[in-house]
Amino acid sequence: MKGILAAALLLASAPLYADYTPFYLGLLTEVLVFGLFALAYDVLLGHAGVLSLGHSAFLGVAAYTTGLMLARFRAPLEVSVLAGAIGGLLTALILGVLVLRKRGVYLAMLTLALSQVFYYVVLMWTPVTGGTDGLGNLPVLYLSEPLGWRLSKRPVTRYYVLVAVVFAAILTIQHLLDSPLGRAMRAVKANETRAAACGYDTRRVKLVAFAISGAFSGLAGALLTIVLEFVPIENIHWSMSGSVLIMTLFGGTGTLLGPFVGAGVFIWMRDFLSKHLEYWEVFVGGAFVLIVLFLPDGIVGSLHRLLGRRRAAPATTPDEPLPEPARAQPARAGDVEGDTPLLESRGLTKSFGGLTAVNGVDFRVRRGELRAVIGPNGAGKTTFFNLLTGMLAPSAGRIVFKGRDITNLPAHVVSRLGLARSYQVTNIFGDLSVFENVRIAAQSRVTHYRCWGGADRLVTVNERAEEIVALLGLAAKRQARGAELSHGEQRYLEIGIALATDPDFLLLDEPTAGMSPEETRRTAAFVRTLAGRVTIVLVEHDMEVVMGISDRITVLDYGQVLAEGTPAEIRDNADVRRVYLRD
Amino acid sequence: MRERGVRPEEAAEPADLTLFGYPLEIWYTQLFIGLVNGCILILVALGLSIVFGLMGIINFAHGIFYMLGAYAGWLTVQLTGSFWLALLTAPLAVGLVGVLVERGVLRRIYGTRNANFAGVLVTYGLAIMIPDLVRMTFGRPGKPFAVPESLSGSLFRLGALDVHGYRMFILLVTALLLPSLWLLLNRTNLGLVIRAGTSDNLMVQLLGIDVARTWTITYALGAGLAALGGVITAPLVAVAPEMGGLVLIECFIVIVVGGMGSFLGAVAGGLIIGEALALTGMLYDVLADVVIYLAMALVLLVRPRGLFGQEGMSEE
Repeated sequence: MKGILAAALLLASAPLYADYTPFYLGLLTEVLVFGLFALAYDVLLGHAGVLSLGHSAFLGVAAYTTGLMLARFRAPLEVSVLAGAIGGLLTALILGVLVLRKRGVYLAMLTLALSQVFYYVVLMWTPVTGGTDGLGNLPVLYLSEPLGWRLSKRPVTRYYVLVAVVFAAILTIQHLLDSPLGRAMRAVKANETRAAACGYDTRRVKLVAFAISGAFSGLAGALLTIVLEFVPIENIHWSMSGSVLIMTLFGGTGTLLGPFVGAGVFIWMRDFLSKHLEYWEVFVGGAFVLIVLFLPDGIVGSLHRLLGRRRAAPATTPDEPLPEPARAQPARAGDVEGDTPLLESRGLTKSFGGLTAVNGVDFRVRRGELRAVIGPNGAGKTTFFNLLTGMLAPSAGRIVFKGRDITNLPAHVVSRLGLARSYQVTNIFGDLSVFENVRIAAQSRVTHYRCWGGADRLVTVNERAEEIVALLGLAAKRQARGAELSHGEQRYLEIGIALATDPDFLLLDEPTAGMSPEETRRTAAFVRTLAGRVTIVLVEHDMEVVMGISDRITVLDYGQVLAEGTPAEIRDNADVRRVYLRD
Repeated sequence: MRERGVRPEEAAEPADLTLFGYPLEIWYTQLFIGLVNGCILILVALGLSIVFGLMGIINFAHGIFYMLGAYAGWLTVQLTGSFWLALLTAPLAVGLVGVLVERGVLRRIYGTRNANFAGVLVTYGLAIMIPDLVRMTFGRPGKPFAVPESLSGSLFRLGALDVHGYRMFILLVTALLLPSLWLLLNRTNLGLVIRAGTSDNLMVQLLGIDVARTWTITYALGAGLAALGGVITAPLVAVAPEMGGLVLIECFIVIVVGGMGSFLGAVAGGLIIGEALALTGMLYDVLADVVIYLAMALVLLVRPRGLFGQEGMSEE
């Protein structure tokens, strides 16, 4: 916040400095507008983890919309700019709906291809858009009454108006990024699968990110029309998408300042290099490759890291032994017994080509139970979990949870119904802090898309997260990144994320995998303390743990239920001994 | 960029049979042109698809390899006068460039965080940089590239259809190359490693196979295919530094329509897009540039994995 104020002051006073000429002021204006464009772009890349190469469409459609509103319909300036921003938003929504059917680099390829359509429309619709000549003949630009300022040929007035608009936009974007929605975007970027398992509809979160990015790219396009008083066709050409990508990565993604620094560097290169070097794109392209290879955090990001490292150096925490988890709360009254099963599967089957991993499994768990599922490697335990939680669609059979058929529901819906899981292979938000890992999961209970108010001000969510971090014994490391934790701590966090969604039903996939005997003992005790609060199904290989804490045990073999019963019954079951215990 | 069509007024004589106002012979000619365009697209798109399949990288430098292929061919013809030699030198020279790019640039990003994104970004950077390098070396204007004399002119007439010798040659090259490529990918050890690596890279490494070398070879193979596409297209268009951009996007569309990672998909997608370009060029010129994008959007909505794509193949 202080940095933004300082930057605002600096920019506000820029025209007062000695040696200013309208030319430099014009450049500075352009840097601001392109910086806004790059910031809008980074909302998608740096905060939602979506690589787009189609932003020329958002900027271009907006620039032409604003231009046409002014030139053809003689609309007021403010209305035209707003129409431009809306044009960018709608374009982003159309593109987003189509490309979000894919992910990753495939999505990037689609954005580039689809953005071409808008270019060709402008190219072919020459009578309206001016084709390759661009759209000119804009009227003299005035702000509406009561201000009524004239902007055309008045660089200083125009400059101040643009500084005001761009800063309002920056503050709005910052507010959005701090909101619960902004946090959900970061979670999707950090780990999309886990975000879905926490109840976030990841495709919709990304679509909203597209819309926000499109709207502000549109605003930048509209402002660009005001600055240039002309709409060149380059605004909508695919090289514009490349330019904004270069600006963003030069400056550093994930920061507020980076895109503006990047825009400055890029425009400097464009104006000054191209004056002296005919083939300046060799240098832009080359510099870009070098930045990607050797400075992936960009200029601002790398500076941040350098300064941050120096500051953080003395605060290294000593290696402590894994703490004993605190006592969980006692069971909720009335929860323990019930006749109808909380979760039930009937004839559940999953085939992968010729292999049937899960074969006609009938499975019932009552509320309050602690059930273990055991079986040799490859018995289909993890596939079974993936089916129950909506990560995989079954080939046949039904799943009923709380009396509701949840077969074929997507993972985020299953999670919202109160069915949470942990993963056999640690699957946390590695880039987020320990606290945020838990907080984002807890937030899912309250809101998914709310875009106002700081996420840190959700009091109940914070309390819930604090409680769970304390329960995990990770309070001392609450600010550490998830990826920096030890293996045992990550396994605890793994359970903590699942718990934070406040589930009625918890599926734990080998919680003690890779743990030392001591850690295993603690984890088993911990799971037992949870058992009073939530219904638990546990996949586990450690027989001591299984026999020691579970109420009932289900044995899977070759995807089928081999036996089910109390630990004592299973221990004495001849089939189980033969297949599983191997004696 | 590519030949799009013949206008009705250019038709030699009014014929008796017409379809949508165009004589049938023009239809045949356009279908034939579409077929030839499709063949070129298949070759170039296959290169892109193979590289993506194995390495998970969308190679934005692929259009550059196509353009460099055309230039390498042009240079060979300038120096030796032999088009046939150019057919050989262009894929080899550009394949070598591919090796350099893979070893010098891409190798640095494997295993880093977001390696797939970084792969897109660095190849995108190369796609910005190299056309200017080519302009620096060969000048801005395009270079004319003559159809080799033995193939120029009409080969024979098939009914009303005038079969252009050079186009027939392109068909022939594709017809020979596609089965060989299929055999290479499906019946050789290299192909086995490529296909295995496509589904589980780590596992292939654990089996003790030198994946690094396979990646280099694959990348070079992709580059060589693009270059071959470039050099055989060159006589139909002028050689220019900008020629890679459009073909790259057309290849994207071919792959989306056909299905990423599918050999059959690339073939089907190439033919569909080639014909779509040629026919809309004739029927409704205004739509010619847009129709293939609309086709892609339709496929995305109705069948996101493409006509022949496997589920989950193209997700990340």
